[in-house]
Amino acid sequence: MDIILNQYYLQIVIFVLVNAILGVSIYMTLSTGQLSLGNAGFMSIGAYTCAILTVKAGFPVYLAIPIGGAAASFISLIIGYPALRLTGIYLAIATLGFGEVVRVIILNLKITNGALGISGIPTLGTKISKMLSSFGLSRFGGLTAQQTSNLLVLVVLIFILAFLVFFCTRLNRSRVGRAFASIKADESAAEAMGINTTYYKLLAFALGAFIAGMAGGLSAHLTFFIGPKDFAYHRTVEILSFAVLGGSDLIIGPIVGALLLTMLPELLRSASEYRLMIYGALMVIMMAFRPQGLISKETVRFWKRKLGRRINQ
Amino acid sequence: MFWQQLVNGLTLGSTYSLVALGYTLIMGVLNIINMAHGEVFMFGAFVGLFLVNYLKVNIFVAMAGAMAASALLGILLEMLALRPLRRRAVSDLAPLISTIGVSIFLENLALKIFGPQSQAFPAGALSGVQLQLGPIRITLVQIVILGISFGLMFVLRFWLSKTRVGKAIRTTAESIETANLLGINTNKIILLTVALASALGGIAGVLVGLSINAVEPTMGLSMGLKGLAVLILGGMGNITGAMLGGLILGIAEVFTVAYGASSYRDAVAFGIIILILFIRPQGLFGKRQGGRF
Repeated sequence: MDIILNQYYLQIVIFVLVNAILGVSIYMTLSTGQLSLGNAGFMSIGAYTCAILTVKAGFPVYLAIPIGGAAASFISLIIGYPALRLTGIYLAIATLGFGEVVRVIILNLKITNGALGISGIPTLGTKISKMLSSFGLSRFGGLTAQQTSNLLVLVVLIFILAFLVFFCTRLNRSRVGRAFASIKADESAAEAMGINTTYYKLLAFALGAFIAGMAGGLSAHLTFFIGPKDFAYHRTVEILSFAVLGGSDLIIGPIVGALLLTMLPELLRSASEYRLMIYGALMVIMMAFRPQGLISKETVRFWKRKLGRRINQ
Repeated sequence: MFWQQLVNGLTLGSTYSLVALGYTLIMGVLNIINMAHGEVFMFGAFVGLFLVNYLKVNIFVAMAGAMAASALLGILLEMLALRPLRRRAVSDLAPLISTIGVSIFLENLALKIFGPQSQAFPAGALSGVQLQLGPIRITLVQIVILGISFGLMFVLRFWLSKTRVGKAIRTTAESIETANLLGINTNKIILLTVALASALGGIAGVLVGLSINAVEPTMGLSMGLKGLAVLILGGMGNITGAMLGGLILGIAEVFTVAYGASSYRDAVAFGIIILILFIRPQGLFGKRQGGRF
C-alpha cells in the first residue's frame, strides 16, 4: 500500500491531472479552430485572484477557485470581443501579447507582490482534511495524514476532470457543439448557414479561460506559492504541446498529451533537464508527420473497427 | 533631454526594425510567422560573441560571421521545420506551432550550452568613444548601429525593387503558384528569403549585444516578441511598415522609461499590439487586402 501511495507518485498524478485540466482549456478554444496563446495569462489571473481571496480576504477555497475562473472568464470576454474579429495567426499573436501584458502588470502591482509572488497559500489537502476531521473522519485505515490529504485532493481533481470531460462530450452533441464544429470546419460557410460565429467563438474562448483560470486556482492551492514566472510564455507553450501531441479533435487528445508529457520527464529522470527541448522537437516532428496529433477521429474509428471485428469473431 | 532620448529611441528602434524585417520577409513570401526568429537573433549574438572572444577577430568581421551563421541556421529551419509542412495541405496554424517548437528547442539548447548567465563583449570590441553634437551625446556603438541598420534597410529596399532576384522574391510573395508557372524556382527563392531574413536577425543580435553589452539565451524571446509587435504595428508583410514601426516602438519605449513608467517598458510593445489589432488590424501602413512589399 505504501509503495503505491508513495508521496512522490501521488504528487505526479496530481500534476498530471492539473495539466489535463489545462489541456481541456486549450481544447475548448481549439474546438472552434481558434488558436489562443493566452491560456497562461488566464491561468495566472485565476491563480492570483484565488490566492489573494484566500490569503488576504479569508475566502474559503471552494468558493475562491470558481471565482478565479470567473475572473479569468470575465477578462477573456473583454479581450475576446474585439480580438475574435481576428482570425488564425492574428488571434494567436494578440492573445500572446495579452499574456505578456498580464505578466508585466502582475509584476508591477502591489497586491500581487510583484516579482516575489504570493507565498503561504493554504494547500487544498490540509483544507479538505480539516473539513473532514470536523465531521470526525480524520483517518482511513492505516493511511498517514499526508497520504489521506493527497488522496482526497486526487479525488477532487479526478471529479473535476471527469465533470469537464462529461461536460465537453455533452456539449459536442448539442447545438453549441455542432456550431463549434462547423466554425472549425469552415468559418465562412458556418456564417452563411446563419451561425453567429462571433458569439460562439466568444463562448468557446470564455469557457476555455474559465477552465484555465480554475486550473490556475487549483495549482496555486497545490504548490503553496505562485510567482509571475510560473505563468510566462513557456507555460503557454507547454499547454499548447499537450494539444499538439495528443491531438485536438477529441477531448481525450489533450488529456493523453498532458499525461504523456507530464509522465515522460518523471520516467526518464535523465531526460528531465531536456524537458523543454523535447517539447520543442516534438512540436516540430508532430507538425511535419502527424499534424492532427496522436489521437484523431480516424484513429478512434480505426481501433473501434479493429477491436469490434475481433469481438465478433 | 528630449533630443538625447530621441537618438536613443532611434538606435533602439533601428534594431527592432532589423528584427522585424526578418519577420516581414518571411511573412511576405510564405505567409507565416516565424516564431523562431527571436532565437535566430540570439544565435547570431552568440556567434558574434564567440568570434570576438575566442577567435579575436575584428567586430565587423564578427558581424559578417554572425550573418553567415544565422543564414545557415535559417536554411536549416526552412528545410527541417517549414518545407515538410508545405508538402501537404495543413492549416495555417501548423507552421506557427512548428516554429514555436524550434524556438523553444533553440532557447533551451543555448541555455544548456552557454548557461543562463549573461556574457559581455570585451571592452575593446568597439571602444567607448562618445561624440558631443550640440545637446546630444552619441556613442560610437550607437553610430555603428544606426549606420548598419539604416544601410541594410536601404540596400534591402533597393535590392528588392530593382534586381532580378528581388523581383523574383516579390513575385513569389504575390503567389507561389504563379511564380512557379513563370519559371521561378520558388523553393530556391523561399530558401534565399529565409536565409536573408535570418541573416538580418543575426546581425541585429550582434548589434543589440553590443549596445546593451549583454548576450544571454533568453534575449531571443523578448526581442522576438517585440519584433512581432512591430510586424503587427507596421502591417504584416509590409517592409516600409516594419522599418517605421520599429522606430516608433523604439522611441515609444525609450520615452516610457524616460518619463515615468520604467517598469512597464515591456508592456508597451504588447499594449501597442493589442491596441493596433483592435483599432486597425491591418497595421499602420498596411492595406486591407494583399499588397505585399
